[in-house]
Amino acid sequence: MFQRWRRSLVLRVTFTIVALSMIIIWLIGSALFNQISAGIFKEKLNISVADATSTARSTQLQLSIAQYQDRATVKMIINEILAVPSVSGSTAGREIALFPFPGNSSSVNYRGTSNLMSATSVTEEFRAKTRVSKGAIWERTDLKYLGGKVEKAIVVGNVLQIPNAGKYELYVLFSLTQQNATLTLIGQALWLTGLILSLLLGLISWLVLRQLIAPIRDAARIAEEVTAGDLDQRMDIRGEDEIARLGYAFNEMAVTLKQQISRLENLSRLQQRFVSDVTHELRTPLTTMRMASQVLYSAKENFEPAVARSAELLASQIDRFEALLNDLLEVSRFDAEAAVMEIKAVDIVALVREAIDYVHPSQERIINLNVPSGEILIDVDPRRIQRILRNLLTNAIDHREEKSIDITIAQTESDLAIGVRDYGIGFNNKDRSSLFERFWRADPSRARVRGGTGLGLSIALEDTKLHQGKLEAWGLPGKGAHFVLTLPKFAGGTISSTPIQVIPRGEF
Amino acid sequence: MTLIMVVDDDQDLGEMLGIVLNGAGYEVDLVSRGDQVMELFTAQNPDLVLLDVMLPGIDGVEVCKLIREKSMVPIVMLTAKGDTQDVVAGLEAGADDYMVKPFNPSELVARIKVRLRRNSADVTSALRIGNIEIDQIAHSIVREGQSVPLTRLEFDLLVALAKEPGRVFTREALLSEVWGYRPATDTRLVNVHIQRLRSKVEADPENPKIILTVRGVGYKAGVPGSAE
Repeated sequence: MFQRWRRSLVLRVTFTIVALSMIIIWLIGSALFNQISAGIFKEKLNISVADATSTARSTQLQLSIAQYQDRATVKMIINEILAVPSVSGSTAGREIALFPFPGNSSSVNYRGTSNLMSATSVTEEFRAKTRVSKGAIWERTDLKYLGGKVEKAIVVGNVLQIPNAGKYELYVLFSLTQQNATLTLIGQALWLTGLILSLLLGLISWLVLRQLIAPIRDAARIAEEVTAGDLDQRMDIRGEDEIARLGYAFNEMAVTLKQQISRLENLSRLQQRFVSDVTHELRTPLTTMRMASQVLYSAKENFEPAVARSAELLASQIDRFEALLNDLLEVSRFDAEAAVMEIKAVDIVALVREAIDYVHPSQERIINLNVPSGEILIDVDPRRIQRILRNLLTNAIDHREEKSIDITIAQTESDLAIGVRDYGIGFNNKDRSSLFERFWRADPSRARVRGGTGLGLSIALEDTKLHQGKLEAWGLPGKGAHFVLTLPKFAGGTISSTPIQVIPRGEF
Repeated sequence: MTLIMVVDDDQDLGEMLGIVLNGAGYEVDLVSRGDQVMELFTAQNPDLVLLDVMLPGIDGVEVCKLIREKSMVPIVMLTAKGDTQDVVAGLEAGADDYMVKPFNPSELVARIKVRLRRNSADVTSALRIGNIEIDQIAHSIVREGQSVPLTRLEFDLLVALAKEPGRVFTREALLSEVWGYRPATDTRLVNVHIQRLRSKVEADPENPKIILTVRGVGYKAGVPGSAE
């Protein structure tokens, strides 16, 4: 669900619109409701105050007339007032209460309430205010009946002078039940309208957004396909609106992208082709040179010493030149991503021994071989691994400074590592990252011992990458160097362990 | 004297090859254009052809096909691109062997010697392989009463297999036996020539009876008389 929420713009925008519209509708509805309820209350209040005032006046008038008559008449008038309110009709919910002033010590008590209304409906505070007021005052109150029923009401208080009985408080209470019912109805209608409005807004925005988002979705899908490499995908363009402009821009971009890519492809193909052609073209004259030097070399006994030595140098330099040419060709193949692997299951121990024999046929004693007994079969391209090993060994022999070299083979379940450690001049940390760069030399001023091509380690690294392997280097000036080649044992695997740590034990 | 025809558009290389081959005791004919080869070939009838792949006129692979239409003479291709389709194309066109530039002159001479050697070993027994009769003296084979022309290399390949009927030859073993190489060079040579040989001697090359493939190892000879 959360995923959908994050992925769908329509869902998010629709939700936001619904939420915001609900808040606005609620605010407007509340204001409207308050206005209406205030209006209704005011109306009721005006009527109530007028009603109560006229009741008080007419009663006071009747009582004033009756003061010259007997008590029974007064009593009758008062009973009439208290009896007037009925439970039905226009005067429904109109109740009357009559209380003597506190301290009124008259012998007659006309205290009473209508319709079983509880005397507590009128608060003591309000009564105190009524007693000191000059005219009618009002307040909201709860209208309580003896039966337990409670209604919201307005109470209007007046002072009444009853002949021969002192001052009385006359309260007329007007129930707000009807008004409250009306307000409840209005409130419900407002709520319902708001809800329906919000839902409709949500629906509308969903529909509109879908219409808007469909071309954007198409654009996204087509962009994904273009990213995946299908540069011929184009957006459908309908009309001339903003979406169509997006489509135009997108298609324009795809065309430019395609042109750029094919231009770059062309350039790099030309470049690689050039390197490859140059390398190949050099081979024919090199063949001639080689044959010529061989003829001279085999006849060198008949030459003067200087000429004979020249023939030797020529022969060895032609070999070196050829090695460089082969390395260049190999590098151009890597650059063109045209290197082909020929994977076979081979015994890596035998391969290492072969490499040692090739690089250092005469004096095996300078190399200490530390390998597990028996053969270890791994899936590799033997020609490439042989080349890596020769490069690492040549490198170690060149830099060993007359010290011995340790070669270690170690394995885990899935991986195999070969470590080549020398104790010679080593290299500093700064040079570590440059080691594998093409034609990089540790110290340009240092004489080249064996005249390698300068491409050896770079090619070794590329060969390692082809095998999904890892070629690491450690070195310290004066402490020597350690190169570790780690390979997955099985074709198509990747390295998951470290059979040999590149930092030798006791070093850091 | 043995005559070698050198076809290369590079005059200097041609001249140098001439010097080296003369030194090794061969006579050399130089041709620099592909479209001149056939004329000279018919006139001179050389014992071996050294053929560059890149040639003006007609390219080396085409020249190779033209020569094969007329002759079973040993052909060694010279190529500057040892890794490309050139090698396979040349071998399929009928070349017996190839050398990648820049080659070592002494190795070139050694290869040429192998290609020119007469099979002077024991020729006493008439060999049979499947329903093929091999006449080692006449250097020819007969299948179902009909003589089948083979290049010398194809003949050597067939004889090597037929001499030891029970033995399974690895590609490396065939390379050293027939081409005279150290083992573990290029086994494409073997594959291509076995295919060519099969297309000549088998009734159905898709379902070989004479030269059998031993999966994962190499090849062996079919049982004499068992075919068809």
